[in-house]
Amino acid sequence: MSMDSLKDRLQSSFIVFENELKEETRSPLHSIRRQAMKRFEAQGFPSVKLEDWKYTNLKPIVKGDYTVFADREQGLEFSEIKRFFLNELDTYKIVFVDGRYSSWLSSTTHQNYDICTFSAGLRRHRSVIDAYFSKAAWGERSLVALNTAFAREGAFVRIPAGKVVEKPIEVMHISTGSIGDSMNQPRGLIVLEEGAEATLIERHQNLGNARVLTNSVTEVFAGAGSHFHYLKIQNDSPTTALIDHTSIVQERDSRVDVGTFVFGGRFVRNELEFKLEGPGANAGMIGLSLVDADQFVDHHTGVDHVAPHCQSDELYKGVYDGKSQGVFNGRIMVRPGAQKTNAFQQNHNVLLGEKATVDTKPQLEIFADDVKCSHGCTIGQLDEDALFYLRSRGIPAHEAQALLLYAFGEEIIAKVPLPELRQRLSRLMARKLNVDFELSL
Amino acid sequence: MLKIQGLKASIDGQPILNGIDLEIGRGEVHAIMGPNGSGKSTLSNVIAGREDYEIESGSLEFEGTDLMELAPEERAHLGLFLSFQYPVEIPGVSVTNFVKTAINQHRKAKGLEPMEAKDMLRLMREKMELLGMDKGFLSRSLNEGFSGGEKKRNEIFQMALLEPKLAILDETDSGLDIDALRIVAEGVNALRSPERSILVITHYQRLLEYIQPDFIHVLHKGRIVKSGDKGLALELEKRGYDWLKEKEAEV
Amino acid sequence: MEVLEHITRNEYAYGFTTDVESDKVPPGLNEDVIRLISAKKNEPQWMLDWRLEAYRIWQEMTEPEWANVHYEKPHFQEISYYSAPKPKKTLGSLDEVDPELLKTFEKLGISLDEQKRLTGVAMDVVVDSVSIKTTFQAKLKEMGILFCPMSEAVRDHPDLVRKYLGTVVPRTDNFYAALNSAVFTDGSFCYIPKGVRCPMELSTYFRINEAGTGQFERTLIVAEEGSYVSYLEGCTAPMRDENQLHAAVVELIALDGAEIKYSTVQNWYPGDAQGKGGVFNFVTKRGLCERNAKISWTQVETGSAVTWKYPSCILKGENSVGEFYSVAVTNHHQQADTGTKMIHLGRNTKSTIISKGICAGKSNGSYRGLVKMGPRAQNARNFSQCDSLLMGDACGSHTFPYIEIENRTARVEHEATTSKIGEDQLFYCNQRGIPTEDAIALIVNGYCKEVLNQLPMEFAVEAQKLLALSLEGSVG
Ligand SMILES: Nc1ncnc2c1ncn2[C@@H]1O[C@H](COP(=O)(O)OP(=O)(O)OP(=O)(O)O)[C@@H](O)[C@H]1O
Ligand SMILES: [Mg+2]
Repeated sequence: MSMDSLKDRLQSSFIVFENELKEETRSPLHSIRRQAMKRFEAQGFPSVKLEDWKYTNLKPIVKGDYTVFADREQGLEFSEIKRFFLNELDTYKIVFVDGRYSSWLSSTTHQNYDICTFSAGLRRHRSVIDAYFSKAAWGERSLVALNTAFAREGAFVRIPAGKVVEKPIEVMHISTGSIGDSMNQPRGLIVLEEGAEATLIERHQNLGNARVLTNSVTEVFAGAGSHFHYLKIQNDSPTTALIDHTSIVQERDSRVDVGTFVFGGRFVRNELEFKLEGPGANAGMIGLSLVDADQFVDHHTGVDHVAPHCQSDELYKGVYDGKSQGVFNGRIMVRPGAQKTNAFQQNHNVLLGEKATVDTKPQLEIFADDVKCSHGCTIGQLDEDALFYLRSRGIPAHEAQALLLYAFGEEIIAKVPLPELRQRLSRLMARKLNVDFELSL
Repeated sequence: MLKIQGLKASIDGQPILNGIDLEIGRGEVHAIMGPNGSGKSTLSNVIAGREDYEIESGSLEFEGTDLMELAPEERAHLGLFLSFQYPVEIPGVSVTNFVKTAINQHRKAKGLEPMEAKDMLRLMREKMELLGMDKGFLSRSLNEGFSGGEKKRNEIFQMALLEPKLAILDETDSGLDIDALRIVAEGVNALRSPERSILVITHYQRLLEYIQPDFIHVLHKGRIVKSGDKGLALELEKRGYDWLKEKEAEV
Repeated sequence: MEVLEHITRNEYAYGFTTDVESDKVPPGLNEDVIRLISAKKNEPQWMLDWRLEAYRIWQEMTEPEWANVHYEKPHFQEISYYSAPKPKKTLGSLDEVDPELLKTFEKLGISLDEQKRLTGVAMDVVVDSVSIKTTFQAKLKEMGILFCPMSEAVRDHPDLVRKYLGTVVPRTDNFYAALNSAVFTDGSFCYIPKGVRCPMELSTYFRINEAGTGQFERTLIVAEEGSYVSYLEGCTAPMRDENQLHAAVVELIALDGAEIKYSTVQNWYPGDAQGKGGVFNFVTKRGLCERNAKISWTQVETGSAVTWKYPSCILKGENSVGEFYSVAVTNHHQQADTGTKMIHLGRNTKSTIISKGICAGKSNGSYRGLVKMGPRAQNARNFSQCDSLLMGDACGSHTFPYIEIENRTARVEHEATTSKIGEDQLFYCNQRGIPTEDAIALIVNGYCKEVLNQLPMEFAVEAQKLLALSLEGSVG
């Protein structure tokens, strides 16, 4: 199958989708979907000729016989997926199986705030969805447009002014593989009103050996003084491809921190866009990629400083073994008038594999003068002196290397807010590096 | 020499100097002491012409000239020198080049020709010796990578070269070890003359032992709350500032 | 900051034109024009064929648009591709140079008189399309060094030219390189024989004089094994309301153990304070390093309305070294998109990139760079530092570094900062009696020190003055 045939299939699926929607096709929301579909039809899948996809070739990914809609619900027992949750904590859970919401596995709420699904949000809070849907995610990206065209299900979180969600929210996308190769397009919408606070953890897990292509879009609106913590654990099976787009709009004095942790998955493309619209807004990004074999990881981040007195901090690290490939593109834009902007970005990479490669492009575009912006980027190996030191104490080379890599990654993990999650991440890292976690504590 | 009356200044709408009256006569040495954040550096910056502060009211005169409308470099040309509490680093600009530019700008303001290179070098060498400074220092970038003490010595070095009429030394003693302190104090004393006035800002009695002040003022919350002779410094050293703060509270 | 708001216009000091009668071909470009250029230069057939092939390649290409610059594209049929000051004959001594031209050089502060020269700089001067005068040729010849106008090299040293021309920058490389290959008129050729250290700086001075002409010079430097040469170029142009096109190609070849230092002080007319006129400077510069060779590019870019220029190094041989030191100043409406490419192919190759951008007025400056480490570049190293200094809130500063690493033993360190000129630094200078304008010159020169230090002494002084001059009035 070629790129075009997936596109063809999506086009015909859209007609099926519209038939299913019936009355709903007359809603303003659906007219956005239709426009988005037109855009996708015109642009198709992005090619490496586009600057944003220069190092990322989608061709082999979209070549596949994916089922676009799951026709039936899959029965799953919680015990089968328990290990993916933070069981030490009481959490809200929004669980999707093969793209469909599983109320059986979820634990949602409408008290004080809404932690539910996009479709439930549409039923109960149509006006909220109309007010925010497709307002943050940039329209000109064809994959965002594709997701918008099929937007029907995903997580919906709305926290009214001043409310603090005490429990973390876990959003889980499970693929069973029982429907063969499949494509998922979850659509998330998160709205924090003034002064609201929440923490959300997101995972995608494929339980079988079927190929799964996920094209996810999440929009986040952080009202004045709100605080949102968003953590993405990407540790999926080797037959999965994930394209994850997140657009965040921040009002005055809000704070949004996003952490992205990549250990698994065959192909991962993260797009993280911040728009700092209110003065005093603060955006934080941390990322850790620990990959090997033929894994491919791409982080595209963008911070658009529109308002003055904002700050953005970005720290991404990557370790590439085997013949894995890493791409990092960090763009900082400071608009005219965004004076007193502080924007910092760091990207550090360790290349372990003989065939591993890294392409990175930090990028500053600055149109205001009273700013402090910097980026730093390193690509190299572990510190020889440190390695030697450990070996001189009798630690074999391989273990010494793993220990140093563990320490390299810990700097990122230490910034994660929940101790239980930190521990989970440290364990994942230890497993990936083959070090004894208990000893390395 | 310097006459300050009812000076009030603020930054971002927050008042810092709340009515300062201070007169420094020719040849006099004054010292200002006061707790952290009381406005000592602000006062010296305002005298030197820093634009970040809004002057709410009051007057500032130097030898009968109104300073308010003058640019910082014009004030410097009149003979005003500020030894900064935190001297800035200027990467790539050597001490020699900087000092040469400063001296020649002073000369230009007086209608004099630039100084001959060899005279300039001789002058610099002489002052360096006086301050016990290393030769390599001249070719280093201004204040870049200088230790705290080196930065302060560099300030005194420049003061010695520019021979100001009024020198304000903002905590020039902090960061200096005892030997350096003595050398710096000697440098200052070498400049002392009936024509020259000095305003010393310090937290410590020890500098005042070397540089004997004629008057001591205590600054608190942007006001001079007490003035006296050098005995006041000893008293402050013993009792701290709290008794003055209390006294103010009573008022 | 209040003082930054006051932006005035400063005069371009090199903006005079010289009344020299010139021999100029009518505007337009076709095969006949190329034949005419080739004929005027008495070129051999192979050269003409090479040009015609380049022209065919160029016609297939489209003008690049990826650079972060915006301008009205040149109208290639309205440019005159050849202009030579008359009388056009070979000049034996200085007395034969047109007196008007000599006056020009006096204004530029360049003395062509060998006797008068205290410093040992051999100079080739290119006005519009032809080389006017090359000094010190005889002395260099004794050592086997060839330093002559390109057109002369094509006639007198055809084997060398044929062997190397277009090997580093092929005709197919890019739109302007292809155009240059078709119509190039002059430029310098240097050849340093094996083991020879060129005892003086070689220098070319470029000037566009005639209206409506484009300048397409071609420079080729070949340094044989173990040789060394330092080469300088300077450029100015008159003030004209219309844009002039300058599209040069420079190729450097450093064979085993050779070292080439290439310095540029670029001061083409930048256009006026309203953005009218100025030179379009679209240049392809690239060097090839064989084993243990070193190429060092230093540039001080203050002129041109639009600049598009990436002096690059192909580090082919093991242990070879590439360096790029750059200061790029933009003011008023200038736009500069400049940087470098360091292509590491060989083992233990090293590169250093120091780029200092200064943007004032309504200008836009971009650093665009590529550091690439190929699969065989074992232990290759790169260090990059790209800083930008902003003056005034209407300018833009951009950084686009591309880093592509295919070897796990390679090490890359890249740092970039953008900030405005420090108010604390300005106040400190003011307090010591230094007025703001002088303080800025002082601070900016300090900021660029690492780059200026790379220039030969007398050029460094000129460059410092140029920096101060091009920022004059940007802060008042
Ligand atoms: N640029 C500024 N912006 C905001 N506040 C300032 C600024 N400069 C000074 N202040 C405030 O003004 C007050 C006085 O500061 P100043 O530096 O004059 O104190 P000081 O007496 O010199 O203290 P120290 O003994 O620590 O040197 C402090 O509260 C300080 O925080
Ligand atoms: Mg102070």
